[in-house]
Amino acid sequence: MSLHTAEHDSAERITAGHVTAEQGPAGPVKIGIRGVGKTFRIRGSDRPFTAVEGIDLDVREGEFLTLVGPSGCGKSTLLDLIAGLTAPTTGQILIDGRAVDGPGLDRGIVFQQYALFPWRTALANIEFGLEAKAVPKRERRERARHYLELVGLSGFEQRYPHELSGGMRQRVAIARSLAFDPDVLLMDEPFAALDAQTRESLQEELLRIWEKTNKTVVFITHGIDEAVYLGQRVAVMTSRPGRIKQVLDIEFDSREGDLRADPGFGEYRHHIWTLLRDEVAAAQEQERTVG
Amino acid sequence: MADDTTLTVPHPAPDSAAPAPAAPARRKEPAQPERTAETAAVGPAGPPRGDVPTADDKATNFFRVAGKRRPPVAARLLAVVNRSLALVLLAGIWEALPRIGAVDAVFVPPLSEILAAWYDLLLSGQLLEHFQASLIRSLSGFGMAILLAIPLGLAIGWYRPVAEFLSPVLELFRNTSAVALLPVFILIFGLGETSKIVFVFYACAWPILLNTVSGVRTVEPLLIKSARSMGLGPVRLFQKVILPAAVPTIFTGIRLAGAYSILVLIFAEMVGAKAGLGYLIQDTQFNFRIPDMYAGIITISALGLLFNLLLLSVERRFSTWRTT
Ligand SMILES: Nc1ncnc2c1ncn2[C@@H]1O[C@H](COP(=O)(O)OP(=O)(O)OP(=O)(O)O)[C@@H](O)[C@H]1O
Ligand SMILES: [Mg+2]
Repeated sequence: MSLHTAEHDSAERITAGHVTAEQGPAGPVKIGIRGVGKTFRIRGSDRPFTAVEGIDLDVREGEFLTLVGPSGCGKSTLLDLIAGLTAPTTGQILIDGRAVDGPGLDRGIVFQQYALFPWRTALANIEFGLEAKAVPKRERRERARHYLELVGLSGFEQRYPHELSGGMRQRVAIARSLAFDPDVLLMDEPFAALDAQTRESLQEELLRIWEKTNKTVVFITHGIDEAVYLGQRVAVMTSRPGRIKQVLDIEFDSREGDLRADPGFGEYRHHIWTLLRDEVAAAQEQERTVG
Repeated sequence: MADDTTLTVPHPAPDSAAPAPAAPARRKEPAQPERTAETAAVGPAGPPRGDVPTADDKATNFFRVAGKRRPPVAARLLAVVNRSLALVLLAGIWEALPRIGAVDAVFVPPLSEILAAWYDLLLSGQLLEHFQASLIRSLSGFGMAILLAIPLGLAIGWYRPVAEFLSPVLELFRNTSAVALLPVFILIFGLGETSKIVFVFYACAWPILLNTVSGVRTVEPLLIKSARSMGLGPVRLFQKVILPAAVPTIFTGIRLAGAYSILVLIFAEMVGAKAGLGYLIQDTQFNFRIPDMYAGIITISALGLLFNLLLLSVERRFSTWRTT
């Protein structure tokens, strides 16, 4: 069914050859983050609270970037900024060279919590973005079915979110963001709440979809393994106020076989682990002093 | 903090994953094996799947089995018997106590006598007349409350400044007993139908209004964020997210109002009326027609029960998606 995508869905752009992790993307900059900072006003305090600060990062078209950092360092905040749900206090975010001035259907978000509409069935949830895009009803239904199938949930069209397992809900949320065919996919720890097996199979599915659709993906995770496994590049953030500490290129000779058993995999993991160790300690120290 | 441990503890290797539980593979979907075959064909995308069933297969099977299960007929029958048992018991006690002289049969006649009186009232057409009078009044007030309070509540809840401006007034009225205001309504609207309908309307409007306001204001912010991220403007956000999310809360208000509509009407009819179930029980008590009085009371209970059941079934149709 996934192979039918090309004929089935003309709206979906398929690259001629697979963009594979080994080659790395070399396309134009899709998301430009220029000196971005975000401060919040906190109730009962007149000192502004800086969540992220001085973030500079370019994500190229078709790239899969993973973002790791200690809890509370501002990863979700950064994603909200890219999504246009909040405006940066300093700096600028560009999509295709144009400054972001609000949310739009060119960017799809999968939230940390699933954020499905509980009164809509799985199918109707996926149709939501298509309704916003004013896709005609029949096509909407067809496309929603197609994407439900793509995430392996055909037969669950009429289920309400509460009738689905956590992993299934997350897959519906992913299908929903894919269905309206955004160029950019922003994912906030989408697999964090899942068991190891479900997570792995969803990781594979995500990579498969990404390879087929050439979307630009920004993927937040807490798992170092996940970051290395999925990302072409891994951006490591500092503790709050979050900045980009380092961006690592992830390259493997071959992605065939069990990537996690590759000696290179362990090296990347250890490197990121070392980078994060100090930041996690700093973050914990911070939380102790703040709370 | 729990999150931080995830950073330091590497994930278990894929082959150390626990074996899938022995969920029976009943009703396996036809699409499922096809998918696995294709994933294998796409191959290089990830590590080999091996012969361990994938977690989503597991999930699928689990839900197939769990979702289709129904309580067996015997169990359902037992539940019905169990629930009616208490009623039967109550009826039995009501019948027995006056007969054995434990209570004065003049003031509490046995149930069978009351039922006989009820039947006579029904045949004479009196019961229907009173029932109809009450029903028309309570439905008019209740219906008006729904028609006015829901749109008003939506508007108040949606425009935050309006909500904040009105909230002290709403609090004040909410805490003023409707019953205490009956004399005011009678003064203004007289003793006729209007005062009763307005009285019912007033009592019903509050729960509906307040629940609608809170329903609109307590929509899960993440859902709003999610809809906004898909480019929805304020109008469509209201129509596609706020409204459906508020429906269950609004219905809670409607059901409360349904109960109130009968409750307060009976009171109004007991104070001053020439027809209605409230008038019937008041009148029969004055004239010492005790069995008729009880027949009236039973009819009121039945009416309230019926009303609630009706509203419940409507509610269920509107919110099939709720877990409860
Ligand atoms: N709306 C807000 N108002 C005030 N402070 C906020 C707001 N949103 C986030 N913050 C603060 O900004 C910091 C970064 O939050 P954010 O949610 O981006 O962290 P995160 O990196 O996604 O954390 P986690 O990994 O735990 O999800 C936190 O300290 C949080 O308390
Ligand atoms: Mg977060």
